[in-house]
Amino acid sequence: MRVLVVEDEPVLRESLVQRLRDSGFVVDAAADGIEGEFAGREYPIDVAVVDLGLPGRPGLEVIRAWREAGKAFPILILTARDRWQEKVEALQSGADDYLTKPFQFEELLARLQALLRRSGGWSQPVLQAGPIELDPRSQQVRALGQPVELTAFEYRLLEYLMLHAGQVVSKSELTDKLYEQDFDRDSNVIEVFVGRLRRKLDPDGQLQPIETLRGRGYRMARE
Amino acid sequence: MTTPAPSLVNRLVLGLAAASVLLTGAAALALDALYRDLALDARRDVLDAQVIALVATAELDSSGELAPSSLAEARLTTPGSGLYAEIRNQEGEVTWRSPSTVGTGLVLSARPAAGGRLVERVTLPDGTRVLAFSLGVSWEAGLQRPATFVLSAAESLEPYFDQLARVRSWLLAGAMLLMTTLVVGLSLGLRAGLRPLRRLEQEIREVETGSRDALGAGWPRELEGVAQNLNGLLAGEQARLSRYRTTLGNLAHSLKTPIAALKSLLDGGHVDLQATGTQLDRMQSIVEYQLRKAVLAGAGSTVASTAVNAPLADLAAALGKVYRDKGVTCSVDLQAGLAYPIDSGDLMELAGNLLDNAFKYCRGKVGLRARAEERPEWRRSGLLLEVDDDGPGIAAADRLRVLERGVRADESVPGQGIGLAAVRELAAAYGGTIEIGDSDLGGAAVRVRLPGR
Repeated sequence: MRVLVVEDEPVLRESLVQRLRDSGFVVDAAADGIEGEFAGREYPIDVAVVDLGLPGRPGLEVIRAWREAGKAFPILILTARDRWQEKVEALQSGADDYLTKPFQFEELLARLQALLRRSGGWSQPVLQAGPIELDPRSQQVRALGQPVELTAFEYRLLEYLMLHAGQVVSKSELTDKLYEQDFDRDSNVIEVFVGRLRRKLDPDGQLQPIETLRGRGYRMARE
Repeated sequence: MTTPAPSLVNRLVLGLAAASVLLTGAAALALDALYRDLALDARRDVLDAQVIALVATAELDSSGELAPSSLAEARLTTPGSGLYAEIRNQEGEVTWRSPSTVGTGLVLSARPAAGGRLVERVTLPDGTRVLAFSLGVSWEAGLQRPATFVLSAAESLEPYFDQLARVRSWLLAGAMLLMTTLVVGLSLGLRAGLRPLRRLEQEIREVETGSRDALGAGWPRELEGVAQNLNGLLAGEQARLSRYRTTLGNLAHSLKTPIAALKSLLDGGHVDLQATGTQLDRMQSIVEYQLRKAVLAGAGSTVASTAVNAPLADLAAALGKVYRDKGVTCSVDLQAGLAYPIDSGDLMELAGNLLDNAFKYCRGKVGLRARAEERPEWRRSGLLLEVDDDGPGIAAADRLRVLERGVRADESVPGQGIGLAAVRELAAAYGGTIEIGDSDLGGAAVRVRLPGR
């Protein structure tokens, strides 16, 4: 999952970037509205966290500009002013949720996960694709009811595929969303990880939860 | 320092005086012209009749000249009477003159063709102005060939000019009297009429210097509203000032305790992360609480009415977006055209906290209603807001407690926990009340009543 953080306060920004990375996100960060608006328009991000009081270009304008450019990724706004008028204005401009500063990081994480789940078309907190279950809150995975132990990268890979269950996800998309920049695109790392994921989820080869479409990518069965 | 603009009274009096001078002057000139026309027409008619009478009695004498056989009008035979007549022949020679012309030196020059009429004005050698009327007559009886004679009658205009001068002096006197009355009356009336404005200025100055709290009563109808609204503003300003003072005082005082605690923790020589965190949390909630109270505008902050429905509908839509996952059905029932004198930010806070609670605690249904409330003693109607849900509701025993600040009836649902207390404070700032009851939907129903005025 690729998240864009637009926040001008350096301590808060760095702490958010670090903790989101620790939670398995690929993170882009911007320190002002102009840079942030550019990043949201040009990078393949899945969700954005935007502070409303930004230098360069106000947060509300940035959000409006993204929505006008047809960007549909969910947006969580951060605001220091706890006034309903401001919240309503932000939600009307195209934001999807808000969080008032100061906040707990866990709250932010839960809201981001809910937004991602929702934008993937899931209304339940636990994602389910056939016999595979994934709970983003506890980061636990079950296959046929049995817990499956995954590494952090394997978990991120599965989460992305499940959030886009029923859709074809290309290898380059996975590379963009699961790795920070400077990744060797020709390597077969993704194939290797998909192989490992298959073996862990489906040791007997009965379930076949991840389909390979040659030359196009992978598809997680939704049912 | 700029020079003061001319006073309202002076402006009005000057403007109206100029207008009345123009109007009465024009009226006097028009009356004068009308009188002259009518008087001259009347004189012309008299002369016309004299000439016709002359024609009726005229006969040719032995030498072939025309002359009247008799004179009925006594003034024509009396010298210096002011009425004259003469007859001229084809060659323009005067062949007959009335005895009244003797010694006057009257010479007429107009020579109308046969059947024609001419009017002329002549001044006699002694300065008398005369109006003359001449008629050309073609005479056949007793002549080999018809000849044209000119018969004229003339009358002195002096009586007319005397009369005109009298009329004019009356007109002038009348116009002067009218103008003076108008200007004096106007300036007296205006000064009396604008006296309440001077009183208003005086009382505002007294409020400024502090010798008076509000404007007095007994204003004329036109100023009643201004005085009331000024008093409303003054009251709001005073309330706001005292609120700011209280808030600042409270903030400073309530922060002192955690600061002291932090200091003593540091003085202990080691950093207890958990204890420090607790104190920071405490400071944060204090700041949040006082900030909430400080930004509240309160009654009197606005005299104008705010349209209520649009912000309420916006809020319901925004919260529907935030709680999309829950699949909440929010039924919004707003009386058309609702308006109430409330700061729009305060309205959003009030309804936002109520609705946020309802969305948070409901199972799937939220209701929002707004109505105007009328009472005979209110000129402007009050506002009733009602928000309910199908959640667990608030037990009767907890209802007072949740209105205190920082208390949450259900600690398991994350939230600010000061929502209802904030609503109570907001409502109180507008003189309103909050009550918690049971909803037909099964959960809590919160009603906020804001009074009319």
